[in-house]
Amino acid sequence: MSPAAVKVDRLEKTLGKNRVLRGISLEAGSGEIFGLLGPNGAGKTTTLRIICTLLAPDAGSVEVLGFDTRTAPEEVRRRVGVVTADIGVYPRLSARENITYFAELSGVLDGELKRRVDAVLERLDMVPFANQRAESLSSGQKQKVAIARAIVHDPEVLMFDEPTSNLDVLASREIRNFMVESRDRGKCVIFSTHVLHDAERLCDRVTILHEGSVVATGPTSEVRGAHRDLEDAFLELVEAR
Amino acid sequence: MKTLAIVFRKEMREILRDRRTLLAIGLAALVTPTILVVISQVSTKTATQTYTVGYTGTIPTGLDILMTGTGLKLEPVADPATAAKQQVDLGLAFQPAGIDEWYDPTRQSAALADTRLQVVLGQFNAAKAAAALQQRGIDPGLLTPLPVTGHPLSSPVKAAGNAFLSFFLPYILITMGLTGGLSAAIDASAGERERKTLESLLLTPAPRSRILLGKILAVSVISLVAALAAIGSMLLALARIPLLDTHVSLSPLAAAVMVWLAILLAGCFTSLTLTLGTLAKNFRQGQAFSTPLYFITIFPASIILFIPDFNPNLAYYLIPILNAVLVLRDAILHDSIAWPALGLTTASLVATGLICWFAALRLFTRETLLIKS
Repeated sequence: MSPAAVKVDRLEKTLGKNRVLRGISLEAGSGEIFGLLGPNGAGKTTTLRIICTLLAPDAGSVEVLGFDTRTAPEEVRRRVGVVTADIGVYPRLSARENITYFAELSGVLDGELKRRVDAVLERLDMVPFANQRAESLSSGQKQKVAIARAIVHDPEVLMFDEPTSNLDVLASREIRNFMVESRDRGKCVIFSTHVLHDAERLCDRVTILHEGSVVATGPTSEVRGAHRDLEDAFLELVEAR
Repeated sequence: MKTLAIVFRKEMREILRDRRTLLAIGLAALVTPTILVVISQVSTKTATQTYTVGYTGTIPTGLDILMTGTGLKLEPVADPATAAKQQVDLGLAFQPAGIDEWYDPTRQSAALADTRLQVVLGQFNAAKAAAALQQRGIDPGLLTPLPVTGHPLSSPVKAAGNAFLSFFLPYILITMGLTGGLSAAIDASAGERERKTLESLLLTPAPRSRILLGKILAVSVISLVAALAAIGSMLLALARIPLLDTHVSLSPLAAAVMVWLAILLAGCFTSLTLTLGTLAKNFRQGQAFSTPLYFITIFPASIILFIPDFNPNLAYYLIPILNAVLVLRDAILHDSIAWPALGLTTASLVATGLICWFAALRLFTRETLLIKS
């Protein structure tokens, strides 16, 4: 593994009365797809939200490319792009306007702006509907807008939180291809999902969470071990606890 | 400053593409003139309306001419008391010793006919008394031992117009300042949560305080435009529609005070509605949270209506909204500015806006609200 782009150390978080994270640690490197796996409620989304500074940890620490999320949250946000299942876009803005808005807020310089937006539109094959208002786009097209706005500032770390859960087969495949492409471009890709089959196909390394704790971590093949697939490995790990 | 400009530009673009907001501004500009036209027509109709007077007995010479000339139509009836219940507006029985009158005060037409009759009878009695005195060689001036000659310091017609404006203008300023930008404010706050764009927005490195300030600025502009459009159209309508024989115009000083207060109120209302919108999960809930605001904010304008001579001490000018109403009323009625009152009002409204902005900022990034979204 290359030096850690994201380093999570003994992270704890309680939301309301629910102790969501119980001291989890993990590391994700550049040029790899790192799977954050587990059933619903395992703490995957909370972990991602802390990494991208939306939530503050109760204990433990998170570093992104050497920047601590507590002391340098804006530096962290500058280097992170997040794609979630909730493909919220501004309906009265066009796809291009949506992306431009986030590019500007992410600090893309005026001279670079058009080139960056055009590049990302082409890269995601969005040119045909770039000037269409977002309210008239399909779910797959909206998801592309969501990806485009997350990557337009060319972040080093890309996080995907259940990105395919609302999408059809074709759109899901495009997202998976995009993750692979990003890894090949040297990005640190963190893929959070409860669909272990997807993770097994894509991830170089995985961490499995269960009830806020890490139950297994390592290269995908190692975590699967002698089991038929990751799902079997996961079930045995959970039952053993 | 750059973040503020980016957010402002985006919000304005979205707002101007939103039919709800455009409709609110359009209505703001149309509703007031429409109301004024209706008031004008009703008042004209009331002034020229003829009322029917059922009578028995012999009408004193000359009184019938006076009554007909003031829109009281005389109609002989069998029983004036019975007729006054339904058939006619007033029932009169002329007798040698005087007049018996029957009318139902719950009927507006009867009350108006009675008012006219009292004026006519006053004139008739005065004329009769004067003629009787003159016949006896006595100066009729004896009837008015203290004659009064009025010297109004300003035009009574203009004063009536100013009194009308001093109530109506603060009322419109407040209602339109609040409702004109309400939809945009909720859309910019609760709408972010409902559309699920809030997380993405907060994930950008842009300072959150500036993001919020950009939103406040954009919605304030819309609020201001709505309020000024409503007032502008009202003044335009008043210049063309005859209303209660009044002359209505706004002095340059009062206009300047009004614009200044409109700016302050727009900022204040926007911060407040954005704070409430931030608490809401969706647009509908945001509207529900904001509805009571209308009743709260309209209360100060009502004070002026019910207590026209309300002259409070300076401490009252610390109360937001009420202070704006009072300052604007004074500027319209007296065409002057009480600087300490205006200073306190400005400080109070700016402080209220800042407190709301700070509250909105805290709520905007509160973990529990993010998780709920």
